Amino acid sequence: MPRCTINGVEIEVKEGTTIIQAMMAHQQRIAHYCWHPGLSVAGVCRLCMVEIEGNPRLQIACNTVITEGMKINNTSEKVKEAVKWGLDFHLINHPLDCPICDQAGECGLQEQYMEFGKYDPEMAEPKQKKRKVVDLGPRVVLDSERCILCSRCVRFTDEVSKSYELGIFNRGDRSEIGTHAGKTLDNKYSLNTVDICPVGALTSRDFRFRQRVWYLKDQNTICNGCSTGCHIKVYFNKEGFFRVKPVYNAEVNGYWMCDEGRDIYRFANKENRWQQGWYRVDGNIVELKPAELAQKIQSLVTSQSAFVVTGQFTCEELDRAIGMFVKKVGASNVFHWQNEPERWNDFDGILLRGDRNPNTRGLLEVFQKLQINTHWDQLIQKLQQGMIETLIVAAPEGVTWYPDFKEKLSIFSKAKNLIWLQSVKRKEVEELPHKSLYVIPLKSYVEKNGTFINYAGLRQSFKAVTTVLHETLTLDQALGLMLGSWEGLIPVTQNASGVTANAMTLVETERPKDRVLNETRKRNEFIFQRGRL
Amino acid sequence: MKAEPKNFPQSGASSAGVGMWYLTGILGGLKITLTHLLRNLFFKKKRITLNYPEEKYTYSPRFKGNHVLTVKKDGSLRCTACMLCATACPAECITIVAAEHDDPRVEKYPIKYEIDMLRCVFCGFCEEACPVDAIRMGPEWQTPDLADGNFIYDIKRLAYRPQLKGGVLSVVDDEERHQAGI
Repeated sequence: MPRCTINGVEIEVKEGTTIIQAMMAHQQRIAHYCWHPGLSVAGVCRLCMVEIEGNPRLQIACNTVITEGMKINNTSEKVKEAVKWGLDFHLINHPLDCPICDQAGECGLQEQYMEFGKYDPEMAEPKQKKRKVVDLGPRVVLDSERCILCSRCVRFTDEVSKSYELGIFNRGDRSEIGTHAGKTLDNKYSLNTVDICPVGALTSRDFRFRQRVWYLKDQNTICNGCSTGCHIKVYFNKEGFFRVKPVYNAEVNGYWMCDEGRDIYRFANKENRWQQGWYRVDGNIVELKPAELAQKIQSLVTSQSAFVVTGQFTCEELDRAIGMFVKKVGASNVFHWQNEPERWNDFDGILLRGDRNPNTRGLLEVFQKLQINTHWDQLIQKLQQGMIETLIVAAPEGVTWYPDFKEKLSIFSKAKNLIWLQSVKRKEVEELPHKSLYVIPLKSYVEKNGTFINYAGLRQSFKAVTTVLHETLTLDQALGLMLGSWEGLIPVTQNASGVTANAMTLVETERPKDRVLNETRKRNEFIFQRGRL
Repeated sequence: MKAEPKNFPQSGASSAGVGMWYLTGILGGLKITLTHLLRNLFFKKKRITLNYPEEKYTYSPRFKGNHVLTVKKDGSLRCTACMLCATACPAECITIVAAEHDDPRVEKYPIKYEIDMLRCVFCGFCEEACPVDAIRMGPEWQTPDLADGNFIYDIKRLAYRPQLKGGVLSVVDDEERHQAGI
């Protein structure tokens, strides 16, 4: 275990640690563009310069391994001068049109040149003009002028996604990033190149120009796209959710996430949700508050009812909801809706798994705890025999991963009464010609606290990000209101009279108002009132 | 005994001169009014007030009136939709929606640019924040209207209103910058 001194602080590091790793681990600031902790060392940006005592020349921190007794600093005048002029070389061809650039606000180069005050390059030669707005693939757009040739994206396709699409072509100041002949950047992990791009050269087709990054607030949560359960950050503001980025988690996803997982923010946005619960009377839709509707249909839930669940809900919700249902109706009437169980063990070798439910393990645990041993065929049999009067379906949020959705819907519609609990708005459900259909909108995964258990049995708890539709219910609240049983869920308040009244007041009062509005005109609220959101 | 004010005449005092004590004040006031009247009648140029709707005051060229969005040489909007004006705006009255432009050299442009004039405080921060001289505070200030909605100015009104005669040319030109190698 070599010991060394970095900027006057003595630390002990593992054998083989590079200087930049040690500095990042000990919260020391150091500029770096080409080095990324998840990729190999390239050493091309030459900005992580450090001064090592006894060494006449400056060294790059990313490619220098710490040895015993090293005395390192990156705050001396010599280092600062080197970084400053290194930066000037980066800015020779980099256009300083930050206001247009989509990376502005989260750009390493922008921060750096602001810090060193290099607002104008000191080159007499005009800047090299290169290709702009190049579609590298369906999801990624390249601006060659802004590229500083750090080669992070090339190394990503070579080392992580192993799809070998990108390369650096031409020589000297004409060199630029591009795809190899006949290839497009079209792999399942292509948007990671956008994340790791230190400048605005690679941008996401989806997020490009939709928001300036300083209008967005972010919050960590767990991806509900598949059973891997990657740590993610969702970016949102008053107008809704805009993008998803991965967060480093050594146990689960490392630094990456898949492209499909980045689409999950759409499910939570207001335009894709039912705002109110609804049912039909003589073909006309009647809208009602979700909690009121759930209470209204209490009489429908009899001993002749069944409950279909998916692994798209949190452990806590499933535990309470199924627990309440089993107590009232019985364990033989709870069924697990599995999507493509034959693909569940698929794995693409990086992150994406065949089981597209974030919490199948959690659901199976609840089934085991409550000793539910039902089979899907039993449900179909019962439905055909007309033994099920009311069917409650806790439908999945990520319906895109359910290819059998329509088919299952037609099976469910055989029940006399169909109570549909779902957070996403689906046309198929709206068009269902069912006479007694009750739809109750649920909360989406970004609006509730809970725990997901991933494929490996890792419990990951997360907190609610924001409130999109405050009147929607969680699964357990919906079931509780429908069944009229709230054990362990509701603290009995003194001044309310009945249990159901209690339930209603809790559901109504304990929720903050919607904080995501589509129609808001005031974009700047985030800047001036950041603390309040 | 109560001390009586010296100059204040007693009621029922016999002297006539003492009873007309207020005349000096009135005459003094009339003198001022008359001087103003006569001066305004005979020296019209020295008048302070204006006959407002007919006569109008000319403000200095630095006056901050209604906004103008400048245009490029080809007549399209100069604005690049960077939203720095909307970020700087303390009244939060600017709404911009950006979109991808067909020309890769332009890259980004606003498909919607609205200023709520009733919210605007005419501070001029937008003008200062703009990196490409796309928004300026113009000289107009008398722009009454009948409904609230008419005070939300859109691109058509901000850049191409008839008073601007086809648009104000921006000083920042992409083509020149391009040739200069910036």
